Amino acid sequence: MHIPDNYLSPQTCAVMGAVMVPVWTVCIRRLKVSLPGREVSRMGVAAAFSFLGMMFNVPMPGGTTGHAVGGTLIALVLGPYAACIAVSTALLLQALLFGDGGILSFGANCFNMAFVLPFTGWVVAGAVRKLLKNSRRGDLISAGIGAYAGINAGALCAAVEFGIQPMLFRDAAGNAMYCPYGLQVAVPAMMAGHLTVFGAAEVLFTVAILGFLQAGGALSFPDTGGRTPAAVKVLLTALVVLTPLGLLAQGTAWGEWDAGEIAATGAGYTPSGMRGGALLQALLPEYSLAGMPAWTGYVISAAAGAALLIILFRLAAGLLGKTGIKRRV
Amino acid sequence: MDFDLILVRLTGRILKDEGRTAGPLAAPGLRIQPVSRLAAAFCCILFCALSRNAVFTGGVLAVLLLRTALLPEDSMRRALGKTVLPVLFTLLITLPAVFTGSPGTMATVTMKVLESVLVLALTGEALTWQETTGALRALHLPGIFVMTLDMTVRGLVILGRYADRVTEAVWLRTVGGRAQSSVRNAGTGGVLGGTFLHSRRIAAATEEAMECRCFDGEYRDGRKTRLHRADALYLLMIPAMAGLFALCERAMH
Repeated sequence: MHIPDNYLSPQTCAVMGAVMVPVWTVCIRRLKVSLPGREVSRMGVAAAFSFLGMMFNVPMPGGTTGHAVGGTLIALVLGPYAACIAVSTALLLQALLFGDGGILSFGANCFNMAFVLPFTGWVVAGAVRKLLKNSRRGDLISAGIGAYAGINAGALCAAVEFGIQPMLFRDAAGNAMYCPYGLQVAVPAMMAGHLTVFGAAEVLFTVAILGFLQAGGALSFPDTGGRTPAAVKVLLTALVVLTPLGLLAQGTAWGEWDAGEIAATGAGYTPSGMRGGALLQALLPEYSLAGMPAWTGYVISAAAGAALLIILFRLAAGLLGKTGIKRRV
Repeated sequence: MDFDLILVRLTGRILKDEGRTAGPLAAPGLRIQPVSRLAAAFCCILFCALSRNAVFTGGVLAVLLLRTALLPEDSMRRALGKTVLPVLFTLLITLPAVFTGSPGTMATVTMKVLESVLVLALTGEALTWQETTGALRALHLPGIFVMTLDMTVRGLVILGRYADRVTEAVWLRTVGGRAQSSVRNAGTGGVLGGTFLHSRRIAAATEEAMECRCFDGEYRDGRKTRLHRADALYLLMIPAMAGLFALCERAMH
């Protein structure tokens, strides 16, 4: 679901970025009121979970791959506003350091995965929760349904963004300048995976981690004097070590091909916007290190990414604590 | 305040902070022995120094950053804070490498410095100074080396505190603009001179204390070091680091 650069026109990217600015502003304002400084550091752990979850690629028949996002999980634990900021930060790190998702299309990726996904998941889970009995099982079922709805809503938005490109931007020869697949291809291609395998992966990721945190008494991240709960530490370390499992899935996710690959996917040509488009050289492209086995690059990238996210949010929490963040009365 | 005085004060602050007593980070039953921590830290710094590529350093640095991120917030800030000055200094002195066409050298050297300092900062967060000297003896370092190190560090800490206090007093006393610069220079010289005299006094006092207590320079670790299962698991990091080191060296050359 990470839209690379040059798949969307600069105009589309600008609109999506412009849409996200007020969303981020509202989220930060709401967080300033509802989340005390120390609790902001929890968002770092949540962002790290999302970052790691996105590294576990799941294969699908036909050669495409996808992954969980964990946006609904964060929304249920810390609220949708925190989820939006946490997933946005994880996406920014992925785009800048690992080249996963574009810089220009950062706004669009955030709209799909950091806004639509967690908010939809949170609303649906809340609605389902009201219908079920107040029990641990009820929490998990509603979380699973919310996660499924959330990831599919996000995927649908991404499919629409892809699909409208050939309608809006064509060159003199009549070829699409950016994503060459229209809505009639993009929507079924994206949704087939997300309604089945990737949706199930998101449900599994959300329910498994929620259940583990509930069992470990760490769901509400109890205040332990700034210490990370043991269950969270174990889970993070396990996820970092297990990330190479994501390499078992061969192939490229739909809509994430390189400019050189796209002609062979059925488009028959490389769109002009992709041929001449700007591309940022990431520090660790596709979570790999030159000359090293893929699994080492994956583990190192996972550890570095998770660590940077946690440190970033903790330092921010310290700054917010110093400036005297307002607390809702 | 002139630059000399700021430097003296900054040095005093750094040395003063080094004297902070570290607290154990884990429950006593799960506590890893200081000797295991120190051995792993030495190996980490050694491998880092020997590595001829950025991949090993970057890999270990990623793991160290994750370890730092999972520390309690105060410890995390202290550990990261200690790396800021060395990293900035390294960036400054390796900056010419960028203009001579080797920006990678600057990145590698800076990462090595960050890793080495971070390893020591994390060890410092987990161990008290007494535990560190005890672990050094348990690692069979010569007593004279441990004594010199111990007395040097303690002396520096005490002098750091002293210099900081005196510099603060001079700073408060100094008023006026450029015309008063001679007074400020005299203040800097006075702080350094006073610190030197103070160092002589504490050296003499230490010698007297050593004589009174029949200290012969031999550090004996009162507690016997017993390694537990947690230590065995912790020490597995050393072969893991050696494996990664060999892998990186082979892949890069």
